[in-house]
Amino acid sequence: MSNIIEIKNVTYNYIEDEVEYTAVDNVSLDIKRGSFTVILGHNGSGKSTLAKMMNGLNKPTAGDIVVDGINTKDEETELLVKRKVGMVFQNPDNQLVASIVEEDVAFGPENLGLEPQLIRKRVDEALESVGMAEFKDSTPHHLSGGQKQRIAIAGMIAMRPECLILDEPTAMLDPKGRAEIITTIEHLNKQGMTVVLITHYMEEAQNADRVLVMNDGKFIADGTPKEIFKNVSMLKSVGLDVPQTTELLYELNQNGISVPTDVLSIEETANAIAAFLEEK
Amino acid sequence: MLKDITFGQYFDSKSVIHKADPRIKIVLLVFVIVFIFLSKNFWGLGLSALFILITMLVSKIPLKMYFKNLKAILPILIFTSIINIFYGEGDVLLSIWKFEITLGGLERAGFMALRIMLLIIASSTLTYATTPNDLTDAIESLLSPLRFIGLKTAVHTLAMMMTIALRFIPTLVEEAEKIMNAQKARGADLESGNLKEKIKALIPILIPLLFSAVRRAAELADAMECRCYNSGEGKTRMKQLKLHFRDFSITLITLIFGAGVILLNIFM
Amino acid sequence: MSVLKVQNLSHTYGGNTPFYSDAVSNVSFTVEQGEMIGIIGHTGSGKSTLVQHLNGILKPTEGEIFIDEENIWERPKEIRKIRSKVGLVFQYPEYQLFEETVFADIAFGPKNMGLMGDELKKRVLDTCRLIGVKDEYLEKSPFDLSGGEKRRVAIAGVMAMRPKIIVFDEPTAGLDPKGRQDIIKIINDYRTAYNATVIIISHSMEDMAVMADKLIVMSKGEVVMLDKTEKVFAQGDRLRSIGLNVPIVTRVFDALRQKGISVPDDVFTVERAVEALKQIKAGDRNA
Repeated sequence: MSNIIEIKNVTYNYIEDEVEYTAVDNVSLDIKRGSFTVILGHNGSGKSTLAKMMNGLNKPTAGDIVVDGINTKDEETELLVKRKVGMVFQNPDNQLVASIVEEDVAFGPENLGLEPQLIRKRVDEALESVGMAEFKDSTPHHLSGGQKQRIAIAGMIAMRPECLILDEPTAMLDPKGRAEIITTIEHLNKQGMTVVLITHYMEEAQNADRVLVMNDGKFIADGTPKEIFKNVSMLKSVGLDVPQTTELLYELNQNGISVPTDVLSIEETANAIAAFLEEK
Repeated sequence: MLKDITFGQYFDSKSVIHKADPRIKIVLLVFVIVFIFLSKNFWGLGLSALFILITMLVSKIPLKMYFKNLKAILPILIFTSIINIFYGEGDVLLSIWKFEITLGGLERAGFMALRIMLLIIASSTLTYATTPNDLTDAIESLLSPLRFIGLKTAVHTLAMMMTIALRFIPTLVEEAEKIMNAQKARGADLESGNLKEKIKALIPILIPLLFSAVRRAAELADAMECRCYNSGEGKTRMKQLKLHFRDFSITLITLIFGAGVILLNIFM
Repeated sequence: MSVLKVQNLSHTYGGNTPFYSDAVSNVSFTVEQGEMIGIIGHTGSGKSTLVQHLNGILKPTEGEIFIDEENIWERPKEIRKIRSKVGLVFQYPEYQLFEETVFADIAFGPKNMGLMGDELKKRVLDTCRLIGVKDEYLEKSPFDLSGGEKRRVAIAGVMAMRPKIIVFDEPTAGLDPKGRQDIIKIINDYRTAYNATVIIISHSMEDMAVMADKLIVMSKGEVVMLDKTEKVFAQGDRLRSIGLNVPIVTRVFDALRQKGISVPDDVFTVERAVEALKQIKAGDRNA
């Protein structure tokens, strides 16, 4: 079995002020084990609702989500699904339960009823893997946003999930915090963790295996980062954040200067422009 | 202003009191409170004060941390002192209208004030030298006999509520301050006016704070569910509470002081 | 005549709280009417502390602040008057909404300044019109709006006080690109309509390059650079030494220069970059 999560024709409706809305509209997606998938979408595109369905927090109105062979609708295995699929949210403050870093990271494993020595070992390893070991006795309140978010990630990986879903984990952070989180996520993925990152920052997707673009509850694009980034006008039309390198290449094309738009890094962009300048 | 509220904030100065078993610390605090109340004269209270002073020094917690907590209860302190000043007997020192200040009254007021201060300092030592989580664990552990009368979930729920409250107090205090400043920036007048106006002026602060607390609670509930929280069913603990030699020593020392207070009560 | 003058301002969070470090020390600068000033610096560099002095939320430990050449702490009891001259929009301002309707919430500020009746109503409606809060929203509860709309209403609440100086602490934080553009637009609209002075704290060098006339660069509580935006961005190495950087497009041009291609060194926006590259290419052809 190579898929950890299988999303099959999933729809999610909700009712507000007696009107029914569709947040996720007949979506299908398989998440491969060990992969790094990014779901891009603006606020209200349905991406967060979809994320919350992947670990059974929300249940689909129609269709099924199967995690490692278990349907999330099955109430008896609800805890097992959450154990397999960890979830990190936007606001780091509202995910931390305890007032001491290591005690917070221990919260999940404690709920799983593990032996104290095993919890200790997992907490230390989890803090090590997000680079926060030296802060184990600190109070979360005194840490930066990026550090708090890394604690939230550690709290999840201490439960040894098979897949980690991150719902806009960088939206409330400063540039330094954002960089910390993306580095942490990429590091975890290299160590074998399946990662699903939900974001509206396109540059966070550049090292993903697969990128999906969500709009109005549907996937409107699906491919490798390069394939997706080629289509700048589509990304802009659905309200996504385009890095300035892409913006520059796109504007050059609009002005009749043809340069490839599927590059992201500063170096690649400079190369593309240099190549153009050297043409006679 | 609000930042000054540090009550319930752990202060890590790594003393033997910090390391002691939190259950022992709670039981001993109760014991100390009892012998402060049992002190009938300045001798007994003096010995209690000496004991608390030694605890303060051993805990290595800066004195100003204690002053901050004392400052917070200053109004209560002044109020009880004033009441007591007028309820004394003995030589009249000063007489205002129907009220008389007597030597006995002054003594009594001083005694009560000292007693309240000692109570606050003793409790502060516990909260400064014990992490909120340790406190919660200890309370859960001390209350655990209640499970025999079918209150297991209740005990756990209480402990969880305390943990979360302690975790979010600093966050909400900071938030309250931000909202206050934001409304001040919109010209809100929080300082002047009569009592009714002052209460009305709090609405622009309390409503956003309430909304924020509800939003945080909803998000926290989701996050806890994602971390397999199941009302404490089958939950274990990373940190197991275990009694050490130092716990017995601390208990012994406290008991000796307690005996001293009782003896001073009887013989002085 | 400068509209704002900060002179040797220092603020230390007293010894009673061991946890705060966002202090400022010995900061001086002046701002002219109508200027758009950006403040950049790391989290904890003192930016937020600095701006909370400009409308008297914080009182300086040392130094003075002059608005229209008047020391704002001359008469401490009248400090509230300063708040109608200097508006301050905090980070995530939508969390300060509290009234039952959008109208009432926007009216809160002007009402505190003493506006009443028709004058108050006109003030609120004018503000809504300027920044595009739709009429049908006015009787809605602010809590029913979307995130971006809530922020717009919160900003309207400060703009309705008609401050001649308006300060924003990361006004676009947490918004998606559409929401960000909307906020940048209303800031520009307000500035144009009332010839207002605007001061913005931002983490985005790219936004600052487009918006700000001048930049104040802060590090560890001190102002380390204060100059026209292009002059600040011309000193990339200095910015990098305090953990900041130049706009991404400038970095692309730096990379081109390192390849031995001669490109202009005053490129900070995409617009300017496109123009520069077109010129180079045209020059090549002519040569």
